[in-house]
Amino acid sequence: MTNNVLLNSVDHKDLKIVTERSQKYGDNMWYSLTFPAEFKSVQAYYPIFFNKDSNTGQFISVAIFGFQDQENLFLADNRWDAPYIPLSVARQPFLIGVQKINEDGEDKEQRVLHIDMDHPKVTQEHGEALFLEYGGNTPYLDTAADMLEAIHHGIVDSKIFIDLLIEHELLESFTLELELNDRSKHQMAGFYTINEEKLSALDSETLATLHAKGYLQAIYMAIASQSNIRGLLNRKNFQLGL
Amino acid sequence: MDKALRKIVIVGGGSAGWLTAGIIASEHATELGTGLEIILVESADVAPIGVGEGTWPSMRTTLKKMGISETDFLLECDASFKQGSKFTNWNTNTNEYYYHPYTLPHGFNNTNLAPFWQPYRDKISFADAVSTQSQLGEYGLAPKQISTAEYDFNANYGYHLDAGKFAGLLQKHCTKKLGVKHLIDHVTQVNEAESGDIASITTKKHGDILGDLFIDCTGTSSVLLGKHFGIPFISKKHILFNDSALAVHVPHQSPDSPIDSFTCSTAQSAGWIWDIALPSRRGVGYTYSSSHITDEKAEKELRDYITPIVGLSAAKTINIRKINFTPGHKEKFWHKNCVAVGLSAGFIEPLEATALALIELSAKMISEQLPANRQTMDIVAKRFNTKFLHRWQNIVDFLKLHYVLSKRTDSDYWREISEHKQLPDTLQEQLLLWKTQSPYYYDATHTEEMFPSASYQYILYGMGFVTDTPRKKRLNSSKKADILFNENLKHTQHLLSTLPKNRELINKIKQYGLPKI
Repeated sequence: MTNNVLLNSVDHKDLKIVTERSQKYGDNMWYSLTFPAEFKSVQAYYPIFFNKDSNTGQFISVAIFGFQDQENLFLADNRWDAPYIPLSVARQPFLIGVQKINEDGEDKEQRVLHIDMDHPKVTQEHGEALFLEYGGNTPYLDTAADMLEAIHHGIVDSKIFIDLLIEHELLESFTLELELNDRSKHQMAGFYTINEEKLSALDSETLATLHAKGYLQAIYMAIASQSNIRGLLNRKNFQLGL
Repeated sequence: MDKALRKIVIVGGGSAGWLTAGIIASEHATELGTGLEIILVESADVAPIGVGEGTWPSMRTTLKKMGISETDFLLECDASFKQGSKFTNWNTNTNEYYYHPYTLPHGFNNTNLAPFWQPYRDKISFADAVSTQSQLGEYGLAPKQISTAEYDFNANYGYHLDAGKFAGLLQKHCTKKLGVKHLIDHVTQVNEAESGDIASITTKKHGDILGDLFIDCTGTSSVLLGKHFGIPFISKKHILFNDSALAVHVPHQSPDSPIDSFTCSTAQSAGWIWDIALPSRRGVGYTYSSSHITDEKAEKELRDYITPIVGLSAAKTINIRKINFTPGHKEKFWHKNCVAVGLSAGFIEPLEATALALIELSAKMISEQLPANRQTMDIVAKRFNTKFLHRWQNIVDFLKLHYVLSKRTDSDYWREISEHKQLPDTLQEQLLLWKTQSPYYYDATHTEEMFPSASYQYILYGMGFVTDTPRKKRLNSSKKADILFNENLKHTQHLLSTLPKNRELINKIKQYGLPKI
């Protein structure tokens, strides 16, 4: 379970965040949220697919780390074996909270930094400190805050992107058929990808719209990212000693 | 005689008129000049009857084919999911109940589980043993999740809806998206051609409207088929006694009260009360036999029923609407170039929600069999009449089945309606047969039967009917049945742990909408 609280320099001045990456610290997710603004970095290492958030039914784009629940094939020797970690993973254990404030007599919502106190990465012993000894944020905390800001805008943008994909029927479900080196066959279902047939049939007006928003590039990067399945499969074979 | 059929005139709006328009217009091109012309003439003076708030699962296909978004439909029609019916007090009047779910028994297409369930009939209800859905009903769960695409399901479902709002949505969709023309005008006269066909109808403001096919959706007044052509009406009052209804809208106990996804039907002293939960209110009504109870006494039973929902003072004062009807149907439905759809074709108590289902089936057949010209119309008409006479007979038999198995003797109504001597011959025969073999494939004698034999099973065994098969089955088929029972149990557990409450899902749909894929 999570225990999200507003981060403050008084109650949380001695907290430290573990930077090691391992199952023990909750890094064993098989996929995580991503968004078009970071597709360029993500597609270099991970397949990008789409699936539905089980809580809202809304589509999100995800970076894939494994082939089944709790399998992250990038975890090795307490570290993450890839140069880029998607922001939705890197931000943990921080998250965005919304605070209602009153500014000049007007009710407004403001984004604030929350921390999940029950997250295994939150300790008092070792890791990155959040606050400087005599007050002020550490650069580590500032970086985390920047990530959350990027994620916030990324999600807003992602919704527009995905609505366009749905409108033009560019998403299709698929089942990934895998064969490991020992000839065992496995399936991964529940994900969606770009329907390339529909994509190639788009009229120039629609293409221009997608291009103007930078989404055409995102679409092609998502398609290109599928080549990372091979890399994932190699990792899986390696882990199993096959 | 070989004049091409180009123009359809639908007389009457409401669910019947607009569903018919939508079903035909979503199959045939309606472009100006080359396409089929569909005009719906609806009087502003005639209020639709506004009942018929339950649908069959077929409505999902109907709406999807028309191109209506399920999210829009659910939100605009104050609609919710319907997974079947729950019957209380029909058998012994001791607060007992049974379910008739929309899901077929597990493995139904390959195996008839009914005979294998019989030995366990005192331990588990038939619906619980063979389907997951009665348990979903018990726990108030929805038939799908927020991530389930529009019109897809985890458990088969139709809808509960606000009939007035439904007609409104269909009207908007038909006129804006499907090219149906809409005239608000009153029909003053029906004009006959020499052949006896309807040549045109005269309207107050728009003069004469010509057409090749006229569809009578004028409700119980049956302006074209009944009044103009004088096609006789066949009463079924001697079989199904109910000829009156008292209807009322009541608020939920609280805004977050559970929304039941089964139509609750609770037997009373001279009929039964329906209870249909929509997101914003409940529609409750008592349909009864005026020969067995006075309106005043029926009203009291209805007010007693709603007292726990709305409280004593509101239950006493709330406005109740009275509807009179004769149960039965027309002798034929398609005559010359006129076909009746909806209440103009027939009307029967709302048990098993046949009203909207019959409209869908009628419109579907008209659309798929739409004659190319006047010459072939008589052939199609003959087929249509045969098909729908059979369907009406099916409905009468199936509804009667609900009553005839009752062991209630607490009123004249129940003593008389369960008497075997006024049973239709067809049902009499079936009941004899079902004593030694359970309904299955061969009980469906026609294609597109109104009710699958599974429905007969749910009613029979829900009412405690015993089928005593004389011959034992081979051991391997009973092992196969055990596997199916176990699978059903597992599947039930799985759904109970994954599906949201019905109200919870409706609220999420309001917030996020259902995904399109």
